Amino acid sequence: MPENVANLNIALVLIGAVFGAPIVTLLVGTWRPSMTGSVAVVTTALCLAIVIVSYFIDESSVNVVWAETFGLRFHVALDGIAQQFALLATGIGLVVVVYAYRYVPLHLDHHHRDRDEQPRFFGFFLLFMAAMVGLVMAQDMILQFAFWDLTAIASFYLIGFDRDQDDSRTSAMMALLVTGISAVLVLIGMLLLRTELGTYSIPDAIAMDADAPAVGIAMMLIVVGALAKSAQIPFHFWLPRAMAAPTPVSAYLHSAAMVAAGVFLVRRYYLLIAGFDWLLNALLVIGFLSIAVGGIISLTRDSLKQVLAYSTISQYGYVVVMFGLGTASGLAGAMFYILAHALVKSALFLTAGAVTEATGAKYLSRTGGLARRMPLLAIGSGLASAGLIALPLSIGFFKDELFFTAAWERGQLFGVLAVASAALTFAYISRFWIGVFLGPLRREPEPISGVLVWPVVALGGATALFGLWTGPAIEIAERAATLTAGNPAEIAIAYHLDARPANVMAVATWIVGILLVLGERRWSPAAHAVARFGDRHGPERLYHRTLDALERVSNSIHRVEVRDLRSRVATILAPAGLLVGLAVILTPNSDAFTIGGWERSDLPLSIMLLSTALAAIAVAIPRSHLRIVITLSCVGFSLAVIYALLGAPDVALVAILVETMLGTFFICMLLLMPSSILRFETREPTERSGVRRDAVIATFTGAMAFFVVWGVFSRPSPSTRLIETYDELTPLAHGEAIVTVILADFRGFDTIGEITVIALVMLGVMSLIRKGRLR
Amino acid sequence: MTSVMTQIASRILLLPLFMVAAAILVKGYVDIGDGFSAGVIASLAIILQGVAFGAEEFDRLPLARYAPLATFAGLALALSVAFAPIAFGHPIFLHQPVAGAPARHFGSLEFITPVLFDIGVFLIVFGFCVGSVSAVARETQRRERELEEAAHESPRAPSAAGDREGVR
Repeated sequence: MPENVANLNIALVLIGAVFGAPIVTLLVGTWRPSMTGSVAVVTTALCLAIVIVSYFIDESSVNVVWAETFGLRFHVALDGIAQQFALLATGIGLVVVVYAYRYVPLHLDHHHRDRDEQPRFFGFFLLFMAAMVGLVMAQDMILQFAFWDLTAIASFYLIGFDRDQDDSRTSAMMALLVTGISAVLVLIGMLLLRTELGTYSIPDAIAMDADAPAVGIAMMLIVVGALAKSAQIPFHFWLPRAMAAPTPVSAYLHSAAMVAAGVFLVRRYYLLIAGFDWLLNALLVIGFLSIAVGGIISLTRDSLKQVLAYSTISQYGYVVVMFGLGTASGLAGAMFYILAHALVKSALFLTAGAVTEATGAKYLSRTGGLARRMPLLAIGSGLASAGLIALPLSIGFFKDELFFTAAWERGQLFGVLAVASAALTFAYISRFWIGVFLGPLRREPEPISGVLVWPVVALGGATALFGLWTGPAIEIAERAATLTAGNPAEIAIAYHLDARPANVMAVATWIVGILLVLGERRWSPAAHAVARFGDRHGPERLYHRTLDALERVSNSIHRVEVRDLRSRVATILAPAGLLVGLAVILTPNSDAFTIGGWERSDLPLSIMLLSTALAAIAVAIPRSHLRIVITLSCVGFSLAVIYALLGAPDVALVAILVETMLGTFFICMLLLMPSSILRFETREPTERSGVRRDAVIATFTGAMAFFVVWGVFSRPSPSTRLIETYDELTPLAHGEAIVTVILADFRGFDTIGEITVIALVMLGVMSLIRKGRLR
Repeated sequence: MTSVMTQIASRILLLPLFMVAAAILVKGYVDIGDGFSAGVIASLAIILQGVAFGAEEFDRLPLARYAPLATFAGLALALSVAFAPIAFGHPIFLHQPVAGAPARHFGSLEFITPVLFDIGVFLIVFGFCVGSVSAVARETQRRERELEEAAHESPRAPSAAGDREGVR
């Protein structure tokens, strides 16, 4: 039952809207593919409007029971953190969707694909947005994990949108594996946290402020998953590969959404993480490493999107460093940085797409001098670049001011590192913008639609606007950086014309940055050497080697398995026997394996058991398939008699019927097989070694099964109590036959599963034999 | 193929077998047996006809022709009985009338929703058994017909068709 649903619950409205968006878009898209883009724009705009409205009304949440037995709740809330990330997801999302409205049809044309594939793009795009918004709003760990995985799945389809290209498919798989496998670590971390703190609720867990070692390990696992998602060293390699995706996907996933999900997770659990100094120090190291490696490699890349991809790795390194500082100013700086970076980086990605669309060039060495031909685009992306390199009068200036202040607080070494990082950013972003827009004109651009240019101008304009009118951005970041309700975060930024440390550091950054840009020839060989070293010995190599090794293992098992039917059965039986044997050895079995007494009245039962055993042995003797089937039936019917003797008429009836039916099915299968093959199989002599191997496996597996059954029968079954309860309840359920009542009522849910399987098998039979015709 | 005796016996047994199936189904809640057993018995009655009269019989008997559809009708029935209580805000599988409340009787048949669920199980099992056996029978028959036609067309054909069969 709903407990906390207010009159107008903005959290509920938002969740409904974001998950409604992909559904509506897909529905309209299937009906009229050409309208998909417009519908996507409208629905995204609606979601953005809801997020903006949420800033003007009280915080709200939905908190309903989901699976009570496991303590799970569907708990989402639109708190400060959620608001900032939801604003980015929908706001940047809207700009990118507008861009994609024009870009995706052109992209499909270039690849000679049908424009009717648009719904696929927009559907997954909006599904990703929905997953992202759900993720940031989730207040229950398992719910959060579900959304976390949903983002990975949606990103797989988005990155692999050009499924006809080999490159796209491998990149999509790499992104899915890296973020998906690390997601398992996140889940383990959450379960560990739950065992330690006894709750899945994130607000409750954070309020406990626990510092047990187990909590530290849980946090470490969650941080590893988060860093993999944010493409930090050593998990960074998937991000540059993911540039195989269409430009709108890169612009969205790799500026405001997928990579932001990683740092979001760190922010969500920040209070718990901050309790462990070693974790914070690890964040510092990884952050600075990512800044350095991402920045240096970015300087060496020629492809437009690769420069930006490595830049993203580097930029999220800044955020991770600020988290690692462990101070209030660092946290506030991190949230502000995410906000500013999303604006400018998406603009730069869209610029790259527009330039490639106009000139056909994908590399810096093929572009240049576009400023005169495409002035609007140059201004828009120029403003964005200015934001990223932190020139005054842009929102980016403050992101660096906060970064510098926070680093300086920690110590002078951090101040120097911060300046070096910022200078690196200055160098590669200048290289990007200058390389595209200044210098000699390399290729004459073709006129392109304004829809591909204006989004860039809008984002660039926003960079400048919020550099002057800082109020809203501060408000957003302050809300997101507030740790506890009673202690709101404060971000004090303004232009000061004095020699405070942050200002000095900014000036130093520009000077070093300009020197770097001018002296490209000096450092270029060294940077290329670093990039080559990374290519040769980087973690991507480990990834490929691991995949290759796994494939080899899988292939060798597969080769054994598919040799013939006997080895197929053996590959199932041998591991099963092994596992069961382990279980027998490992479980305490002091009172198991007792031998009961024997009375004269047991004689009929013993005879039937003996006959069953003999029939089972006899199955191995005949060569003709029909005789094997009939001998197998003998085993079944003997068992039915045993059930009858044990006083279970219900089971005996079912056993007889099943046995009759099974015999019929077997004969049907024999009918379907070509008689020549059956005859050949019957005559073919079996190899002696094969017989010996089969005998060993059969004896071993049989012995293991025997021990398990013996152990179970030696002990009074713990479920007797359950059976008594069922027995008492049966009359209440209007029944007298307990078996039927169990099947249709008490354990009805199991029955549902079983009959669904039967129906599915029916579908399988019909599609195999009758090509799907049901009559 | 089969003797007249088998054919007559199978015809004579058809209705009584249905009778037994119906009885087991209806009495499921008070006596041995349930929808599953009833479904197997009923389908054995139909399969017996196919065994005695050949696969063409499956095409003639409407019960056999529509059996696969019965599977899905049964699944739909069972699922709706199981999940309908959700629509009224109850947990799934809350059968009507609820525990302890009086139920209407018609002989030994009680008008309670578990019986509906059991009928769903019956339909699924019946549809599956008859459907898959008749599908196999009709497929083998089709293959035989193909072989005959091939033999009819050219004298070398039987061996060629035999090879093709072998490859399959």
